[in-house]
Amino acid sequence: MLVRSVGTAIALGLVLGATSAPAAETKPAGEAKPAKTKAAKTKTVAASEAGKRALPAARLDSLRADLAAEDDAAAIAAATALGASGAANAAEPLAELLAAGAAAGRTEAALDALGKLGGAGALTAPRVFEVLDLYAGHRAPEIRQRAVKALGTVKDPRATTTLLARLGDAAPGVRASAGDALAARRDRVATVRLFALLKKSDAGAASPLAALAGPDMIPQIAELAGSVDDGVLATTLGEYAQRGDVPDRLRLEVVRTIAKLAGAGATTALVEYIASVPAKDDRPSKREAQKLLDERETVR
Amino acid sequence: MSGARAYACLAVAVAAAALSACATSPYKRAGNAGEVATALARSQPRPPAARSLAFLVLEGAAGPRVAAYDLAASRLVWTQPGVVTTRIAVGGDIIIHGSNAPVAAAAGGPAPAVVVARDIGNGAVLWQHALASGERLAGYDIDANAVYLVIQKVGATQRGTTGSVVALDPRTKAVRWQHELPTGRVAGPAVRGGLVAVPVDSQYVILLDGASGSELAQVLSTAEAATFVRGLPEGMFYGSRGVFLLAPSTARGSRQAPGYLLAKLPAFVRPFYWYDLYRPEQAQYSAIDRNHILWRVAVEGDRARFRDDTVVVHDYRFLFGFDATSGALRWAYSHPSDAVASTDTGSVIAFVSSDGDIGAVDRVTGARRYQARLPGDVVRAATFDADGFSPTLPAAEAGAAPDVVATLGAIVADPDKRFPDLKLFAIDEIGRQPGREATGKLLEILGGRGLPPLAVQKTSEALAARRDTQSADLLAAALRVHADYAEGRTAPPIDFLARAVAALGPSGRSVWPELVAQLRQPETPTPAAAQIARALIATGAEEAIPALRDFLTMYRADPAHDADPSALIAVTEALLKLGGAGDRRLLLFVAEEPHTVAPLRAHLVRALGETDPGAVRTATRD
Repeated sequence: MLVRSVGTAIALGLVLGATSAPAAETKPAGEAKPAKTKAAKTKTVAASEAGKRALPAARLDSLRADLAAEDDAAAIAAATALGASGAANAAEPLAELLAAGAAAGRTEAALDALGKLGGAGALTAPRVFEVLDLYAGHRAPEIRQRAVKALGTVKDPRATTTLLARLGDAAPGVRASAGDALAARRDRVATVRLFALLKKSDAGAASPLAALAGPDMIPQIAELAGSVDDGVLATTLGEYAQRGDVPDRLRLEVVRTIAKLAGAGATTALVEYIASVPAKDDRPSKREAQKLLDERETVR
Repeated sequence: MSGARAYACLAVAVAAAALSACATSPYKRAGNAGEVATALARSQPRPPAARSLAFLVLEGAAGPRVAAYDLAASRLVWTQPGVVTTRIAVGGDIIIHGSNAPVAAAAGGPAPAVVVARDIGNGAVLWQHALASGERLAGYDIDANAVYLVIQKVGATQRGTTGSVVALDPRTKAVRWQHELPTGRVAGPAVRGGLVAVPVDSQYVILLDGASGSELAQVLSTAEAATFVRGLPEGMFYGSRGVFLLAPSTARGSRQAPGYLLAKLPAFVRPFYWYDLYRPEQAQYSAIDRNHILWRVAVEGDRARFRDDTVVVHDYRFLFGFDATSGALRWAYSHPSDAVASTDTGSVIAFVSSDGDIGAVDRVTGARRYQARLPGDVVRAATFDADGFSPTLPAAEAGAAPDVVATLGAIVADPDKRFPDLKLFAIDEIGRQPGREATGKLLEILGGRGLPPLAVQKTSEALAARRDTQSADLLAAALRVHADYAEGRTAPPIDFLARAVAALGPSGRSVWPELVAQLRQPETPTPAAAQIARALIATGAEEAIPALRDFLTMYRADPAHDADPSALIAVTEALLKLGGAGDRRLLLFVAEEPHTVAPLRAHLVRALGETDPGAVRTATRD
């Protein structure tokens, strides 16, 4: 076959040079300022450890060959293995596969694997961002969603722009994944668009907005009562109340707002809030939530 | 009898029958130019009207009424109760119109027609003329000397039906004269300067002396039916599909005559120059009064041309001024509500709307020249007696000529769904207008919602056809809009915009970033992606090569493109045309890689071979 005479490596090399996003502006992942959260610190440590871990060259070549083989099952297994390795050099063959293009099964497996590597802090190459950024605009929603999830793990500030854009995606799953990724990255710039989604009763916006909203946004969110789905609003407010950085007097108002909402979603939000507070913690908002919950049950 | 002899006998019989018919034909005088010239010489054109009146047919809570409105003074002169069934005609110091006879209506039978004459000064009924049993009113006209009624007496058979013209004294209803017409197939008359014209038997117009009723001449319209006659200060006219100036040269009317007029008009215009006076329903106020051509004529001897080379089309809420020769749109005017009647006074187009707006626009520029309002009434119809009315608004109120592009854009955006053809015309016309404003308007139309697919298609074609190289930035701005669920925004019509960019050729190259951004959007439909690739080729946008590579590699193995590989094929074409040796190698890889969708592989093998087989061989050796 002609392509074999050209050589897959050459072709892939050509293809890898094809991604057009400018790499010059890329800030090396190692230089990105880590978030000051506990989770972020944990991830930084993981990334550091991943950086030390690398697959042996022979193993890497074998997996790379499997990725390009005609056997789909073998290719998917190779992608899974690369993702599970947590190795810093495992991303490269996956990115090559995506850059060269593949059928849906391999593409999804490669994106999932990159997501796993990202979770382990092992996505550092700028090329990975470029490939994921490209696939975040893929026509198939299930592929976009996987790309968005993986992109969220990339320590590259350019990812924020793409994730914000995907908050406007037509597919709810993609929007939800973009919101989750932005929340995980603590990108507060997303709150405006997440609030716009909440106004459309988009369930996927509830948790990310709850995670990112500042106290000044809570009155705006509460004012949506009656104009958006009660369940979505209750989830947003309920998850906000569970945050550790919220003053209890604000929580008090939040639980009262939740109690005014109709439906099982509001009850669930109150129950989950109460459950989230340690038993020995007798904060006023917890007592109020319990009282309001009792009243709801009495009414029922 | 031999065949030849039988044929000869038949020919003789036919000739004899023809001669017999000629001998008895009532139209022996038809087409006699000399007689027409004599008749016209006796005709004295009426002096210009010293008044500018609109006679309004009102309805609403106060019941059916007739009113006179003084345009010059902007005031209602009188209002009288009354039912108007057929169009008001004005002449001298009276008006006449059709009405129903209340007695017969009360008896439960069909109401016979009644001609009502009213005093023009106060609207009081002067007299009523009820038609006899078996009579049908074909039409009427009026001048200062008489009321002329064309009456059809319906017989048991078509041959038994007869027609006549009756002249009544305008003040007393006394019969001045009666003229029997040669046929029962008769139409409504027109009078000008004492000459009464009556269409008969479709092709003929009989000219009568208004003073005596004697027949002066006959006109034969050879080219088209003569369904109307119309008296105007500048001449007497007849015609149907077009307009003949009555003159010796049109005594035997043909379209080659110098007095024949036919305006060049766009397809949406109903070519209606005047009422078909053979059709009784057109004697009534109807939709025809809201959708017709307004015209006046400049006459020089036998020659005629549309005055100012302009005809105006009244289409319900809209007025359009057209160059009668080229069909080019000169101006457009849009009114908020339907104009129920309009007239060309020779200076302005005056109109009355259903909700009581009375207005006038300049017949040459479309600029507003008059506005008044009759509050609280529903105007069903109107007749003008305002020839020469030439108002001027005070400087503070005078409007500039309406912006054609803005007016046409408003027509397209109008939610009124009665005018699909008009909207298409408006789109076409915007496309013909020069300048960025027109390009911007077309883009605005394309970006709008709720436009029928045909209108979208037309807009796209107009946008591409204008090749407005000065407005590439506008296309770029339109393409910069992306679909966004959070912001409730849908994608622009990318394929149409890309087509417009492609039409610019190299001048559209600056739009490549926006095209590439749309190519990367997941919502961009496959046909649009293909069109983007074509636009990139047309503009020579080599800067887009990396994005084309990305698209190709990302989707080359996507089974979604198996059924419709058009976008992938267009992208490969773009890479072949814009790219270099490296891109050919990439295409070679894609062609040979087994996961590439089959139709793309097949296309690539063929395309690579056709474009440069040598390069393929070279690439394989590298």
